Amino acid sequence: MTILTFKKTVVGGIAASILALGALPASAAQRMSAPIPDWTGGAVVCKLVQTILENEMGYKIKAITMPSGAGVYEAIASGDLDYACESWPSYSSSKDIMIKEFGGDGTVQYMGPTGIVGVSSYYVPRYFVDEVAPDLKSYEDLNKYKEHFSTIETSGKGRLIACPTPAWECDDQKRLDLLGVDFVAVELGTETAAWAEAQAAYSRKEPFLLYAWEPHWIHAKLDLVRIELPAHNADTWPATGWAEDVTFNYANPDSMAEHTDAAHVLSNMDLSNSEQAKMVLDIDVDGKDIGEVVDAWLAENESIWRKWLP
Amino acid sequence: MDTGKNRLLMWAAIVLGFFSSIILVRNAGDASVFPAFISDPFQFSEWINQGEDWLKKNYRWFTRMIAGWIETALYTVEDFLIESPWLLILMLFILPSIAYGGLPLGLLTLVGGLFWGGVGMWEPTMQTLALMGMAVILSVFFGILLGITSAQSDRFESILKPILDTMQTMPAFVYLLPAVFFFGIGGPPAIMATMIYALPPVIRLTNLGIRQIPAETIEAAHSFGANRLQTLVKVQLPLSLPSIMLGINQTIMMALGLVVLATFIGADGLGSEVWKAIYKLRVGWSLEGGLCIVFMAIIFDRLSLALGRPKPSALPANTTRFYLLPQSFDIYPIAKIIERPIGAGWNFIAMCGQGFTQIIAVTLGSIVNLFDSVRGQAFVIGIRRHAFLVSSIALLLSISIFDHFFGIGEFLESMQFSFREPVDNAVAWLTVNPAFIAFTKGLRALVYLYFLHPLDVFLTYLPWYIVVAVLSIVSWISVGRNFALVCFCLLMFIGACDLWEQAMLTLSSVLVSVLICFIIGIPLGILSTRSKRFDMILRPVLDAMQTLPSFVYLIPVLMFFGGNIVSAVIATVIYALPPVIRLTALGIGQIPVTYTEVSSSFGGTTSQTLIKVKLPMALPSIMLGLNQAVMMALAMQVVTPLIGGVGLGREVFNALNTSNTGEGLAAGIGIVLLAIILDRLSQAWTQTQRDALGV
Repeated sequence: MTILTFKKTVVGGIAASILALGALPASAAQRMSAPIPDWTGGAVVCKLVQTILENEMGYKIKAITMPSGAGVYEAIASGDLDYACESWPSYSSSKDIMIKEFGGDGTVQYMGPTGIVGVSSYYVPRYFVDEVAPDLKSYEDLNKYKEHFSTIETSGKGRLIACPTPAWECDDQKRLDLLGVDFVAVELGTETAAWAEAQAAYSRKEPFLLYAWEPHWIHAKLDLVRIELPAHNADTWPATGWAEDVTFNYANPDSMAEHTDAAHVLSNMDLSNSEQAKMVLDIDVDGKDIGEVVDAWLAENESIWRKWLP
Repeated sequence: MDTGKNRLLMWAAIVLGFFSSIILVRNAGDASVFPAFISDPFQFSEWINQGEDWLKKNYRWFTRMIAGWIETALYTVEDFLIESPWLLILMLFILPSIAYGGLPLGLLTLVGGLFWGGVGMWEPTMQTLALMGMAVILSVFFGILLGITSAQSDRFESILKPILDTMQTMPAFVYLLPAVFFFGIGGPPAIMATMIYALPPVIRLTNLGIRQIPAETIEAAHSFGANRLQTLVKVQLPLSLPSIMLGINQTIMMALGLVVLATFIGADGLGSEVWKAIYKLRVGWSLEGGLCIVFMAIIFDRLSLALGRPKPSALPANTTRFYLLPQSFDIYPIAKIIERPIGAGWNFIAMCGQGFTQIIAVTLGSIVNLFDSVRGQAFVIGIRRHAFLVSSIALLLSISIFDHFFGIGEFLESMQFSFREPVDNAVAWLTVNPAFIAFTKGLRALVYLYFLHPLDVFLTYLPWYIVVAVLSIVSWISVGRNFALVCFCLLMFIGACDLWEQAMLTLSSVLVSVLICFIIGIPLGILSTRSKRFDMILRPVLDAMQTLPSFVYLIPVLMFFGGNIVSAVIATVIYALPPVIRLTALGIGQIPVTYTEVSSSFGGTTSQTLIKVKLPMALPSIMLGLNQAVMMALAMQVVTPLIGGVGLGREVFNALNTSNTGEGLAAGIGIVLLAIILDRLSQAWTQTQRDALGV
């Protein structure tokens, strides 16, 4: 028995020393957490904010990979995440529940626009316009070419690779019906699925009609032509095109009351579409590392981002 | 019901019913709608949302407290795994693998570990390992407790059973978002969600293991004066250990199934690698991440099974010859060329280990001897008996010390490899390959036009009361009156939640997927019993199919088959196929040789023997495969909306996007209810087959 206990102590002691030699605890600092958006544009904005907060204000930001959507809003409201960047009003129905400015209960705070303005529309590949349909410019011309866009599931009608989920409130089918476009809006469930479908069709040089928006990395990979839709009009929606998406940052109110300097950056940043597009191109087309691209931009454009600081 | 006349009547009724329902469907202009006077007052999702709000207000402090504890524990484990030198961690896995599974398992673990580091995913792998390890440990702890409790009380067992069924079939997407509010983001909610899903097997198998112990054994324990607690700890638990270990094995497998979903609530690890990759349509990258999960699954599967077997009394190296490959391979000289050096090297290592232990034993023993000679003797023997343990600890310690002074550093650059590019290229090549695309387009048209679309229309257009009536009657005939009543209530619930059409679409997708599984699976199963070589190739493929996260192949399937319901069906087939193949092969393999010999001696040809003897004899096993395939296909219905699947799964997914717990739960319950109905029906049919064959 004694040997057994002795042995246990020895084994325990050795295990403890292996543990102690193996690992060292990390030290604490002025910490915040933020999600990394899964699209490159958003990731660039977030990385910019993160780098500025870390380099200029001594924060330590924990960046968490998390698909955008309701989960991020939920986590910001509960204080598990401190802030998030570049929310697209059209694609976040949670804002109506949680952000005061959109009619919500104020559990999430609206910080201010990022400067990136997006717009959604329908697109066809350039090769289709060049080779088959040089006169395809607006939604009125779509019916002429509908058999090119039809699949076995749409029985003669054209197919639109539509807004992937009803949560985005695109009302694609209603729009098509109201505008008299003889197409079926097919929802693929996720954005990724829509891009995969477009990418596959593009590599086979097949015609497709795709719902997409700008700025977006898909335009760096595929050469797409925008189809004209009627200008946005809230009264006749959804028989019109989309409103401009003024993207914004949002945050946890308590955290921002505490970290006022960070709140200042999140409210006052102003990045233009073209500046963002340059960085997105470097990352998605040239395959550069996002950290390096952002560092290089910060080094070259001090005059722009210095203005965002308090 | 056993006379021929009755059987004829039944078939006549089925045929008549089928044609009259076709006429009904043809006359119906649109999908059948459940009456509003039932569904309008039944605001299930509203009630759930109100309940959730109440819980959020009153119990959040409590769940957050638990989350805090879990987080502390998790980060301790995670920091240890990540910040320790990789060599130390690798050895920590390899040594137990050798001790319990012999050298082949040790080599498997070595290959897996080198793969994790080799593709540059050591850190995410460790994060996932910490997360899953934590979830499994907690599941095993609570699972064994609950399993023991339900073995003591029949009443508790009967209450627990439907809850466990629900936990296993309820799509995880339903409780993922509420978990964020109650447990925060990252590890803790992911662990809680994993536990909900992975807890049932260990409870079930603990319960089963204890209940299977013969009453005589328990009585013997009682008659020797053991009280209830003593009987439990000293008799029941040790005797049910193999069963409990099997439960733990299943729990590990199920926990690994949730790895990718955990990324949706901010848990880092392999799941987020896979997600990042598929978001950018990088198939090769996601495959690397997926294979890391496959290796993890296979290693822990084998290791936990090995732990369940009785431990070999001798050191693994003490066996006279080392076999890496099956012994039937001995006829090939190449096998010996591979095995000999490994065996010799291994023997050398074992000798070093024993020599070292000897030195330690003698040195320490002589020190103890100075004080107490009797204990000194026992001490030497004790240490010698644990040569493996002693040398293992020495090895780990020396790695730690070496790292402390010199630093082992990162995983070696020269050992890294990547196959992202070739995989991406292969996918890109197949996407544009005219012959392959012609094939996929043809298959897509065939499945859609002749199976899926007609069945979709049939099930959704058929008036709801007919479906309810038919399913209830079938339940009555094949299971019993009580279940018919349950079935009726469940279907009415689906209708009242306004989910009738979605439920029928889900049913249709599941039925078509399972049908395709059978068309492909039964021939493959038969083939694998006929050719050993084919079986050897098939086995690892099936293992990988079952453990590879389905996210990995969603994107290639979509690129080849297009974004539509057929892609969803194909992905479902990939996921649900393995049990059909396995159980067909098992069923045929189990048939005694005498049966087939009798058949051939009566002049039956190979195909006659197969069709008239083997397949009917294997039917119970094949029906079990049907049951499993149906359940797996249903589980997949929550994943396929990611690439265009429709039905209840899409409702769950949409609810996730709008953080509407009530609607998600209603659709999730819809899936659970379909699962219960289909499960009971197919089980009853399997039983009928078994009874008919007298097995």
